[in-house]
Amino acid sequence: MSEDSVAELLVRAAEGDRRAWDAIVSRYERLVWSVVRGFPFDDGTRHDVFQTVWLRLVEHCGRIREPERLAGWLATTARNEAIRALQQRRREVPSEFRFDLPDRVNPEAADVLIEGESERAVFRAFAELPEDCRHLLRLVCADPPLDYRTIAELVGRPVGSIGPTFGRCIKRMRQIMERHRGLKPSNGGSR
Amino acid sequence: MSDWTDDQILAMLRRALEAADPVPETARRAARAAFTWRSIDAELAKLVYDSAEEDVAGVRGTETARQVAFRAPGVEVEVMVTHSGGRRIVGQLVPPQTARIELQTPEGNQLTGTDTLGRFSFDDVPSGPARMVVRGDDVVVVTEIVVI
Repeated sequence: MSEDSVAELLVRAAEGDRRAWDAIVSRYERLVWSVVRGFPFDDGTRHDVFQTVWLRLVEHCGRIREPERLAGWLATTARNEAIRALQQRRREVPSEFRFDLPDRVNPEAADVLIEGESERAVFRAFAELPEDCRHLLRLVCADPPLDYRTIAELVGRPVGSIGPTFGRCIKRMRQIMERHRGLKPSNGGSR
Repeated sequence: MSDWTDDQILAMLRRALEAADPVPETARRAARAAFTWRSIDAELAKLVYDSAEEDVAGVRGTETARQVAFRAPGVEVEVMVTHSGGRRIVGQLVPPQTARIELQTPEGNQLTGTDTLGRFSFDDVPSGPARMVVRGDDVVVVTEIVVI
């Protein structure tokens, strides 16, 4: 099946075509998730935020002005909803009961899920990166891709800083991979 | 390993993230189910005021009531959301008029009617996204989504 254009899918969804809607969801769910993942939420809040983004898209389906920028629209909406959720928690939960859940990644559990030794090595290095690097790298490798302007908005930094920050993060990741490789027991060791 | 390009590393990371941190099935289902909120044939009542957006910085602690107002041509929906005990919505149509009000949330819908002054309320409102559909004598209005 040839890829329908986003504009076409949006029009069909607005007219009530459920399959068009499902196609939009499967094309962009990963992207929305990558944005929401960058915030310190518990699972319930993360679910609410993710869901709200799609409800807003349904609400605006027939009125997206630049369909070709849907990735950016979804990413920005996800960020706005995430920030709103953070503010809401700030209002409703007294500070002494409030703590941010660290964006934890568990490389041991991930090892089981990830296929491919290289992918596992990359992920193990990713897991050791500071949170801001992880957030940025998630956005940079989002699929469909986001442009630097949108990424800059998402992380709240000037566009010009994204390239250099990305460079720093990926360099760090390479260093960690090198270190891990050095730590590995040499080949042929007995078990 | 060190001769991998940045793009190769990103491609591997993308595959790793998809495997290690997939979009949970419940979240996917919720995204698909969002389609049932496709605009019914109703006028959109736009959010014109939300007290929650006023106190971005500074105000700490817990305010008890949040005030939200929506406006459509001919009618305004003003509500207060309180959360002492369960979440509760009390609202009023302006100008006062009678109508059936439906509160829609992903967990289900609640239906109520206004009194003669256009007042209504909902108890045990779940947190999360919600909107209201107002069916009056000559208006059908749906509010923008708010997260409560």
